Amino acid sequence: MGIQVQNISKNFGNYTALDQINLDVPSGELVALLGPSGSGKTTLLRIIAGLETPDAGSIHFNGEESTKRHVRERQVGFVFQHYALFRHMTVFDNIAFGMTVKPKGERPNKTRIRERVTELLHLIQLDNIADRYPAQLSGGQRQRVALARALATEPKVLLLDEPFGALDAQVRQELRRWLRKLHDEIHVTSVFVTHDQEEALEVADRVVVMNRAKIEQIGTPEEVYENPTNPFVFNFLGNVNLFHCRGTGSGEEKVPISFPGEATDGSVGYVRPGDIRISRTAGSAEDLPAEIVSIQGAGALPRIELRRLDTGESVQAELPRERYRELGLKIGEKVFIRPTNMRVFVPDYQI
Amino acid sequence: MSNQSLAVAPTVSAALTEPKAVRWLLTGLALAFLALFLVVPLLAVFVQALEKGVGAYWAAIIEPDALAAIRLTLIAAGISVPLNLVFGIAAAWAITKFKFRGKAFLITLIDLPFSVSPVISGLIYVLLFGLQGWLGPWLKAHDIQLIFAVPGIVLATIFVTFPFVARELIPLMQAQGTEEEEAALVLGANGWQIFFRVTLPNVIWGVLYGVILCNARAMGEFGAVSVVSGHIRGLTNTLPLHVEILYNEYNFVAAFAVATLLALLALLTLVAKALLEKKVRHTVKSASKPIGVE
Repeated sequence: MGIQVQNISKNFGNYTALDQINLDVPSGELVALLGPSGSGKTTLLRIIAGLETPDAGSIHFNGEESTKRHVRERQVGFVFQHYALFRHMTVFDNIAFGMTVKPKGERPNKTRIRERVTELLHLIQLDNIADRYPAQLSGGQRQRVALARALATEPKVLLLDEPFGALDAQVRQELRRWLRKLHDEIHVTSVFVTHDQEEALEVADRVVVMNRAKIEQIGTPEEVYENPTNPFVFNFLGNVNLFHCRGTGSGEEKVPISFPGEATDGSVGYVRPGDIRISRTAGSAEDLPAEIVSIQGAGALPRIELRRLDTGESVQAELPRERYRELGLKIGEKVFIRPTNMRVFVPDYQI
Repeated sequence: MSNQSLAVAPTVSAALTEPKAVRWLLTGLALAFLALFLVVPLLAVFVQALEKGVGAYWAAIIEPDALAAIRLTLIAAGISVPLNLVFGIAAAWAITKFKFRGKAFLITLIDLPFSVSPVISGLIYVLLFGLQGWLGPWLKAHDIQLIFAVPGIVLATIFVTFPFVARELIPLMQAQGTEEEEAALVLGANGWQIFFRVTLPNVIWGVLYGVILCNARAMGEFGAVSVVSGHIRGLTNTLPLHVEILYNEYNFVAAFAVATLLALLALLTLVAKALLEKKVRHTVKSASKPIGVE
């Protein structure tokens, strides 16, 4: 079931949580709402679920106006940040809850409920914990039980609020891969909120970057990472180097300024550390002289910190291991850097 | 790890505590105080009651006026405790799970009976419903007697014991938050299902704890009830009032005999309270640490 969000606004007192949000979640997709805390992403999720009412705008499920529809009738599954498992019920009763509260006529019988719970326990790979209480489970297990509970009523839409927020790094990694796999199997339209860009880029089909009550960009993980439409998205999705630029006179092209006093036209070039090329000899006039300040050789991509000799600004670079070994860089060495893949923005607001 | 800390523990505690003499002195003082002000008076009640033997003791308790007082006390508690249970749960549920204007005012209002002297609480009812009171003439015209009758006693008891259940539940339910209720709501539960299957089971020990305290106060209340009762023997005397009357008549054995009933109630309450406290503390602890936060 697709979700259409139209012109949704929400204020809490003087605080604007959402400002005229428009968003289309196509049926069967896994969409991430990504943004810093206070960007309004959780509020948007709660409005879609019906747990919050918008001040203005409307929510449509499959084109059908649902803004006024009660939470109970929206057929959504919701996974809370801290799971909100019923602490006095066993895992079995937690998962069965959604089925047992259905009105008499629609309620599945006991055997059917048992079957469905067993099925879900199998799906979340926790077949043997039906009789345990939430307090006896690890964080990762609780999260999966919460997911099974949300799926038990066969929701048309699955909403997850910071689903991996309270877990440690390794369980997080494991669970998000598992969630991706699960989604590929059951294809329920899903929206999840996160402030972790890595998580959003790795798991989602589509990423919605939010900031200050507005949507900054919507796109596939590759699109938003490769072609951020504004400095905020660029900054939020990873490390970045800034180069003050000047025009070259030939159309839109800009080049980094190459000595401290050189006039800029106000434009700023954004370059990811992985797009900084390091070489021993100057290949062209665009190459900038720099000195190596520190090297962090461990990890998948060795990180090099450099200081530009012309402007004195510091630059972060990441090299593939192979290239790193080939160059054999030393601290204090003088090299040349060339920013590639530079995106130039004329800043119209402060980050 | 745990073995290590066990081995280290004695030296640490020795370094953190006072010399032996000081410890004994302080503990001894505390125990002496307890004995003097709590244990001895309690024993005195029983000793005085049994001074003239078990026969006199028993006679004082099965005397018709005493039985009437016991009956009235049970009636007053039997009506006011269930009512305050319902009021208290409803108030705590409204205050902790919903947002509305005037919430702070409502909380203050619930505390009012704690801050007003019980005698004043009784007087309020006399001034309202008494013959000279605002509603007195109307009540008399319709032949309804509240003051110096059982309804007045019940009303005064309800007023005085009103805060117990709500006061016990509000912090507990606040600590538990609304996430579980929201989860139940999204899963399709209606209001009653959420209340009976999610909210109530989570606070049940707190509810019992509040009821025990509420009951102890309802049965032991003196001031407010004394003002509205009129002290009519066999009719409007509750147990505490009956004790007072007997005492004022220099009938010490009977007074203390009836007093032992209240003392026993207090002891039972304390035992139940101690047992429940453990359970409540456990639920508060698991609530303040939301499930899932490692």
